[in-house]
Amino acid sequence: MSPALRRWFYDARVRAWISQAAVAGAMFGTIWYFVANASENMVKAGIASGFDFLWRTSGIDVPFKIVDYTPQNNIVDLLWVGVANTLLVSLLGMALATILGFLIGIARLSKNFLLRSLATGFVEFVRNIPLLLFVFFWYFGVIRALPPPRDSFAAFDTFFLNNRGLYVPAPTEGHPFAAVSIAFAIGVVLFLALRVWAAKRQASTGKAFPIWAAGTALIVGVPLAAAIVVALTTSWNVPVRGGFNFRGGFVLVPEFVALLAALVTYTAGFIAEVVRGGILAVGKGQKEAAASLGLSPGQTLRLIVVPQALRVMVPPMTSQYLNLLKNSSFGAAIAYPEIVSVFMGSALNATGQAIEIIAITLAIYLIAGLAVSMFMNWYNSRIALVTR
Amino acid sequence: MLRRFAASAALMLCFAGAVSAQQLTPSPTLDAIKARGHLECGVHLGLPGFSFADDKGVWQGIDVDFCKALAAAVLGDATKVKYTPTSVQQRWPILQSGQVDLLSRNTTITFSRNASLGVNFLGINFYEGQTFIVRKKANITKADEMDGATVCVAAGSTEEKQATDWFAERGKKVTIVNFQRNDDAIAAYDAERCDAYTAGFGALAGQRSKLKAPDDHVILTQLISNDPQGPTVRYGDERYQAVVRWVLNGMIAAEHFGITSKNVDEMRRSSTNGEVRRILGVEGNFGQMLGLSNDWLYNAIKQVGNYGESYERTVGMDSPLKLPRGPNQLWTKGGLLFTSPFQ
Repeated sequence: MSPALRRWFYDARVRAWISQAAVAGAMFGTIWYFVANASENMVKAGIASGFDFLWRTSGIDVPFKIVDYTPQNNIVDLLWVGVANTLLVSLLGMALATILGFLIGIARLSKNFLLRSLATGFVEFVRNIPLLLFVFFWYFGVIRALPPPRDSFAAFDTFFLNNRGLYVPAPTEGHPFAAVSIAFAIGVVLFLALRVWAAKRQASTGKAFPIWAAGTALIVGVPLAAAIVVALTTSWNVPVRGGFNFRGGFVLVPEFVALLAALVTYTAGFIAEVVRGGILAVGKGQKEAAASLGLSPGQTLRLIVVPQALRVMVPPMTSQYLNLLKNSSFGAAIAYPEIVSVFMGSALNATGQAIEIIAITLAIYLIAGLAVSMFMNWYNSRIALVTR
Repeated sequence: MLRRFAASAALMLCFAGAVSAQQLTPSPTLDAIKARGHLECGVHLGLPGFSFADDKGVWQGIDVDFCKALAAAVLGDATKVKYTPTSVQQRWPILQSGQVDLLSRNTTITFSRNASLGVNFLGINFYEGQTFIVRKKANITKADEMDGATVCVAAGSTEEKQATDWFAERGKKVTIVNFQRNDDAIAAYDAERCDAYTAGFGALAGQRSKLKAPDDHVILTQLISNDPQGPTVRYGDERYQAVVRWVLNGMIAAEHFGITSKNVDEMRRSSTNGEVRRILGVEGNFGQMLGLSNDWLYNAIKQVGNYGESYERTVGMDSPLKLPRGPNQLWTKGGLLFTSPFQ
């Protein structure tokens, strides 16, 4: 071996590259083997393969959708309906579960005996019941609590609530409420600017500005004002009583409510434990120091304890969010039309393309899961303790 | 001269021997069933009358009876069956991957399944048609009156698409709610989430017993589709497919010729009808031609009964379902059952 080659051979970087390439090659080789094997066997068994089926007319109706879709659309549109419904229930679920989980987690550490015991009881209850039972419990609980269509609860003859869902007026055409999300974005930008200004003012004059009240007003108030303007200027399709049920308008189905409630309450039980662990991880001295500076208990929690607890909490919270995303597939059991239900259920059986459909579904969960992890990793690095 | 004759005769004998040794097409499925000593049969998760485990855990039903008849024909013993309950979604992968030898599970024969799933349907053991079960207090007599109704259905069943198409064609707005399993859909219907639950009339008769108050519900007589059902196997292995097809034909023919589980021994001894004698293996060697013993259908009829006996016991008048024979009657008695001859 020539000295140059030997040097090259003992170079750690080169060796790392070689081993990485070997692992990657073995992985792609294995995947290639499985794909080739599967397609060969499918040809042998006379099973059609390929992704052409995605452009076939679906012929499958979906009772709850937030994107435009009719049974005359293609299967790929049906897939999109499922993805949108999955993301809707998951993102809303993550937000609500975080709020509820924080409240319960803090309640578990409360000095009040009743509050503490209730929170402990809730956590123990949730953690020891399988999610599927929980979902059914909510679903049948919601349906049984609501009257049949002929005895609907009605408000102003425009809103109706019965065991088929909550019927609300819908815009006659288009998506006029896109303006509300723009208003929301403006509110957020204004809030960020205000925060910079308030921090500067406090630094120079020492006067605190009620930043949270002002922020809430901006972030909630601006979109709300936009929504009111839009609502007054749009034509509405109001639900009317038909033979069996109400027609027209937008319906929020009990499946959505039950799945969301199940995911939120279930995940909140786990998030509460993460929150409790995070808060307990903050040294007692920190609170004592805060108290000696004259900060109120609320300020101590908000400014001293939670920011430090977050550093402990973020990694386990990421896995709770990922669990919630995956658990949204339990919607299939109660007919909530998310991706597993409409795509791996209805579309798979209408076409029989099991391998393709399962591969697409896996890829979508993978992408959504990686997006959640990436966001949480970014957040984690942002709040990480900066040591100087 | 004599030597030449003897030589060519010997040559011909060898040739004939070679031909007869190759007469039977190889059948990997039959060989596998015989080697493992039992039939692997894919059935429904639980549908009274068609396939369900009774209170002793024994599988019963018209679809289960076909598994038993096939086991009796191939192995001589109707009890040598292992049942795999399959959901609407699981049934195809389980059949395609070879986990079961056949599906006998209340599954509609459709073009696209036959053409693109790599499965063959080998005859019809139940003429089914889709309809609806509704609450009596809803006062509906026909599917046409269901405009605006909400219908619960099992996701991915043929019923899901058929109902969507049928109502769309008639300009009626019906909300379809898809559940993963039939049982979840029925539970939701029972909880009044839906105005109706849809499936075949036979399946509905079976599932009705799962409702809280079965008498408060009525099954509409108007059928919106044809849903013939029968034993389903993978592509390939033609000799095995012939066995499955002719066991079904044999059970129907047995009813036609009046062979029952009670009189089959008597018929085997004394029948002068050539077709009966061939079915029962007294004349010819029909069983051997398929690679089975000649008493293959005798065993099936003796142990399971003919088609009519199986029908009455599982879904007919001797069962809780009390379904009239309807289209599932012999053609000679006004039904649709018409088999190929045993010739």
